Amino acid sequence: MCPIDCRQVLTQIELYLDGELDVSLHAEVHEHLGTCGNCADRSEFQRRLKDMLRAKCGCDEVPADLLQRVHAMLHETPPSFT
Amino acid sequence: MARSQAAPPDDPALKERFERQVLPLLPNLYSAALRMTRNPADAEDLVQETYLRAYRGFSGFEEGTNLRAWMYRILTNTFINSYRKKQREPVTVQEDDLDEWYLYDKLGENGVEPSAEAEVIRSMPDEDVQRALEALPEGFRLAVLLADVEGFSYKEIAEILGIPIGTVMSRLHRGRRALEKALWERVRERGLVSD
Repeated sequence: MCPIDCRQVLTQIELYLDGELDVSLHAEVHEHLGTCGNCADRSEFQRRLKDMLRAKCGCDEVPADLLQRVHAMLHETPPSFT
Repeated sequence: MARSQAAPPDDPALKERFERQVLPLLPNLYSAALRMTRNPADAEDLVQETYLRAYRGFSGFEEGTNLRAWMYRILTNTFINSYRKKQREPVTVQEDDLDEWYLYDKLGENGVEPSAEAEVIRSMPDEDVQRALEALPEGFRLAVLLADVEGFSYKEIAEILGIPIGTVMSRLHRGRRALEKALWERVRERGLVSD
């Protein structure tokens, strides 16, 4: 069986980085990235972009009054109220 | 604070479990709520409403199943049902003409070496990246938020949003391309690359 080429790898990078490829295809892409600088650069950029998004969009400071409001709600609401 | 009413016998255990397992999720839920509502006052209300609904329904939550996904489903449903109506959708982006490697290629075309491309993005102010994400149309925004910021799998996102996995993949793919275009515009506005 022929190893997958750059074009095929690049169409799979998104799923590869999302951890959504099956084990064998993941291994094929991984192996290709170990030997192909161009694909590895693109993959690495997308991975860092994902990391950056998480770091910059998921760490907002929680307002103190929100914590107080939620705590107050917990103490005032019967839990099994449906 | 009113605590005069005697609680049912199982209440203390339920309340303790809720506080132990669900309260630690609050910072992430608040960030997600901010990206959804785009303003702090609505985000606070959305998170409080989410916690109220979760607390009331917590006795029906099956322990050992996916608590984070359960909470994000409540957050998302509450947002869609209660808060979205108040907001106007931004202009829909034309994403169909975006190539697969939009941002990477744009940076490359402007003389940024591959090794330095990620650094350009990292040097952007947090607010720029947040505004770019928040400006995406809702379907794209929720998919990218849940996948890239919150780290949910496609299957979990499908369950949270109540849509097929194929739709998750499509929204994620198109949403990411649209986000890259928005980020590129911010990079240029900030003068982070030389034309």
